[in-house]
Amino acid sequence: MKTISKVLKKDHLKSLLRKLAKDRQLVAPVRNSYGDTLFTEIEALDGVEIDLDNQAQSSLKSFLFPQQQVLFEYSTDQGSAPVYKAIDSDGPTVFFGLRSCDLAAILYMDVIFLKEVKDPYYRQKRENNILISIGCNEPFSNCFCRQTKSGPFMEYGFDLQLTDLGDRFFVETGRAQGEEIIQQWAHFFSPASKEDEKAQYQMRLEAQGNFKRQVLVDLAIRKLKDDLVPEEVWSKLSSRCQDCGGCAYICPTCTCFTINDRKISTDSGERIRTWDACTFAGFTTMAGGHNPVDMKQNRMKRRFMHKLYYDVKSHNRTSCVGCGRCVDMCFGGVDIIKFINMVGQGEI
Amino acid sequence: MTNSINEIEHSQVILVSGSNTVKTHPQVARRIFDAVDSGASLIVIDPRRSPLARHADVHLSIRSGSDIPLLNGMMRVILDENLADDAFVEMRTENYHALRDMLYRLDMDEIVALTGVSLDKISRAAKLYARAQNSVVCYCLGITQHICGTDNVQAIANLAMLTGNVEKENTGVDPLRGQNNVQGACDMGALPGVFPGYQSVADPEVRHRFERAWQVSLPKTAGLTVTEMTHAASDNPIKGMFVMGENPMLSDPALGLVRESFANLEFLAVADIFLSETAAVADVVFPAATFAEKEGTFTNTERRVQLVRQAIAPVGESRSDLDIITALSEKLGYPMPYASAAEVMEEIALLTPIYAGIFYDRLAPWGLQWPCFDREHGGTPFLHKYNFARGKGRFVPTSHKPPSEPTDAEYPFVLITGRSYHQYHTGTMSRKTPVFNRECPEGLLEIHPLDAKTYNIRAREMVRLSSRRGSIKVKVTLTKTVNPGSLFTTFHFAEAAVNELTVAARDPQAKCPELKVCAAKIEKLET
Repeated sequence: MKTISKVLKKDHLKSLLRKLAKDRQLVAPVRNSYGDTLFTEIEALDGVEIDLDNQAQSSLKSFLFPQQQVLFEYSTDQGSAPVYKAIDSDGPTVFFGLRSCDLAAILYMDVIFLKEVKDPYYRQKRENNILISIGCNEPFSNCFCRQTKSGPFMEYGFDLQLTDLGDRFFVETGRAQGEEIIQQWAHFFSPASKEDEKAQYQMRLEAQGNFKRQVLVDLAIRKLKDDLVPEEVWSKLSSRCQDCGGCAYICPTCTCFTINDRKISTDSGERIRTWDACTFAGFTTMAGGHNPVDMKQNRMKRRFMHKLYYDVKSHNRTSCVGCGRCVDMCFGGVDIIKFINMVGQGEI
Repeated sequence: MTNSINEIEHSQVILVSGSNTVKTHPQVARRIFDAVDSGASLIVIDPRRSPLARHADVHLSIRSGSDIPLLNGMMRVILDENLADDAFVEMRTENYHALRDMLYRLDMDEIVALTGVSLDKISRAAKLYARAQNSVVCYCLGITQHICGTDNVQAIANLAMLTGNVEKENTGVDPLRGQNNVQGACDMGALPGVFPGYQSVADPEVRHRFERAWQVSLPKTAGLTVTEMTHAASDNPIKGMFVMGENPMLSDPALGLVRESFANLEFLAVADIFLSETAAVADVVFPAATFAEKEGTFTNTERRVQLVRQAIAPVGESRSDLDIITALSEKLGYPMPYASAAEVMEEIALLTPIYAGIFYDRLAPWGLQWPCFDREHGGTPFLHKYNFARGKGRFVPTSHKPPSEPTDAEYPFVLITGRSYHQYHTGTMSRKTPVFNRECPEGLLEIHPLDAKTYNIRAREMVRLSSRRGSIKVKVTLTKTVNPGSLFTTFHFAEAAVNELTVAARDPQAKCPELKVCAAKIEKLET
C-alpha cells in the first residue's frame, strides 16, 4: 500500500482527537498531578495534559491484556449446574501517542495471542483499534530500539505515524483505517510539501544518532546462539534479583499469565486471569514441590533467553523492543541493558 | 533513620547489621547495590548468610545475640589502629573516658570466642568502617529483638560517634523501619511514655499543653508496652483492649501467654481489614478501610510524612480508622468533631514541634521530612548536623549479655525468626493474594545440611520443632544460609506459628521481645 503523506498543525491536534473520540474511547499519554506520565483513558479532553515530551512509564499492555481480567462469572443455584456469564466487550479505541517500541510490542502480542491460538479476550480488545504513533526524534534516556529494530520510527503497523516538525506533525498512513481518517477529516490535514518531506527524512536520519546508550544487542544474540555466555554472568546477575517480577510486569511484551478462581459468595464466583512472571519460582513449581527450573539463575536465564534468543529463533525478532522501562524498574539493577552489555562486551 | 534513603547510595562504606535487607527493605537494598556498584564497601553482620551477605566484602557471621562483643571488638581495633575521630569525640561527645577504659580492658580472645568471628575479620571490618569518609550503619530487628536490644543500639551509636560518622550527609545510623507507618505511629505517641513528637508525659509543661488542648487531665506516668499487656496472662491488670491493625495472636512471642492474656480480658474490640486471628476472638470487630479507601499520611523510615489520597469509597460497611475512632469517642462522651484528616494534622502541627511546619497543603507530591519547625522550613534530610537532640552525644559503655535462653543438651539449636519476601507479617493481607501464596505457600525451617544428616532428615520432610514453651510441625529446607547449630523460620503462618516457641524475655528498657534467639530441638515425625 502506498502511504499518503500529510501535514497536521499542532494547534489542531486536540480538535482532531476530539472528533475521533466521539464514538470511540481515547487512550493517550497523560501527565498526572504527581508528574508521572501514564497511558490513560481520557474521559474529557479539556484540562488534560497530553504529554508527548516524556516516555509513558507504562506501556499499552494493560489496555489489551489487563493486569487482572475477569474471564467469566459463574453461579450455582442450589445444586444445579453452574451458569456461566460471559463478559461484555469493549467498544472501539483510539490509542494515541504510542512510540515505535509500544507499537512493536503490540505487533508482538498479536503474534502470541492471535497467530496460532486465538485468544478471544485479547482479540475483543484488539479489534477496532486505531493506532496513532509518534516517531522519536529524541530517544529517551534508556532507549535502545534501534538495536532491537523496533524504532525510532516504524515502517508498518500504525494507522497513522506522526513526526514532530516543530509547529506541525508530518503524518504518514500505514493501514486503510489511517487513510479513512484522513479522508473523513480531510479539512484537518494539508498536503505535505517537498520541504516537509525533506525535513521528515532528515529527522528520521538524525534520530538514529540521538540514542544516549550503546547497547550491543546483535553481539549478545550471537553469543547466546553460540552458547558463549559464561555461567558466571547468570549467577552474578541473579544473586541480585529480588523476585519482585517488576521487569515482567512493566515489560510491554511479557504476556505470561495465571488463572485463579475467586469466590464472590457461597454460590457464585469469577475466574480471573492475572499477569504472571517467569522469574517467580512458583511459575514452574509442580505439585509436590519439585521445580524443573529451580535456581534463580536458571529462571533469569529463561527470561533473557526468551527475550533475545528463543523469539529470534521462532519469530525472527527479539521480544525485547528496547523501550528501557525495566531498567528503572529493577530494584537489584539486573536490567536487560546491563545483561546485554555484560554479554556483548564479554565483561565478566 | 538519621539519613535519607537516597543518601545510602553515596556512602563509601555500608555496615548492615541484623537486617535481611534484600527481603525486607528492597528499596533500601537497591541503594546499597547501587553504592556497591559505584565502589562502596559492604560489611554485613548476620548469623545467616543472607542474600545481602553474599555481596559483602566482609560478612561477620556472629552467634545470634553477640552483637555487643563484636561491636566492642571493632571499637578496640579502631583505638589500637588510631582511627578514632578525636576532633569529633572532643567537640561533640561526652563520657568518652568510660568507653575508652572499657575498651582497653577487653580480652580479644574472649570476643572471638563469644562471637565465633575471627579476629582478622573483626579487624578488617573495623578498619573499613573507620577509614572511610562516609560510613553508614543500617540496622534492623536483628539488633533490637534481643534482651539487650537497647544496649545493642547504644553500641552502634558508640561506634558511629567514635568515628565521627553521624553529623554529615551520607553518613549516620539508620534503623530500618518495616511497616509503611510504624515511624508515624511512634511519632504520634503510640508509645507508653510520650505524647506526639516524643514529648515525655512526665514533663509538666508538655502535659499542661496537651491538657489545655484536649480539655482533660492526663496521666503523668508511662503506661504499659504491648508485650507487657499481651504477656500479663492471669495477672492482667488490663480489662479491656482495643486493637487496631495488629495481630498479636500470631505476631507476639510466647503465644501461649498471649492467648491466656486475651482470654482474661473482659472485653476486646479489634479494627482490621480482614478477620485476623486476633479479630476472631474479639467481642466487637470494626471493619476498617484499606489504604486506598481513606485519606491521611504515612511517615516512612526516613521520617518522610507522605500524603495518602483516597482512591475509592470504603467498600461495604468498612470505615476509615479516623472515622472509627471519632465515632467511638463520641459514644464514650468525648466528641472529636474533626471534619477531615487535614484538620487533625493542623492539631498535630500545633502541639508537636517536630511536625510544626507540616500541613496537608505542603505535602504534595513528595512529602516533608521531620523535624520541620515552621511553614517556611523545608524539612530535614539528615539529623544531628550541629548537635545531638540532647546536646552532646553520650558514650555509654555496654557489655555482653548472654541470650535469655542458652542452648543445652535437650534443646541444642538456636532458633532465629524472621520474614520472607512474598509474605508480610502475619499474612492478614498477603495470604489472601494468590501469587504470594504460590510463591511462598508455607513456612519452611532452614537447617544446615550437616545437622539434617545428623538427624537423618531429608529436604521437605515434616519435622516437629519444639522449645520449652511449645511445639509445631514444620517442613524443612536444607541450606547453608544458616550455620550448623542454627535454625531459621518465618512467623507468617498460623498453621506453623513459630511464636508458640519463642521466649517472653524482653529488653528491660525498650521492652522489645527477644524474637531472635531461643533454644529449640527438632524431632523426626513418626510415620
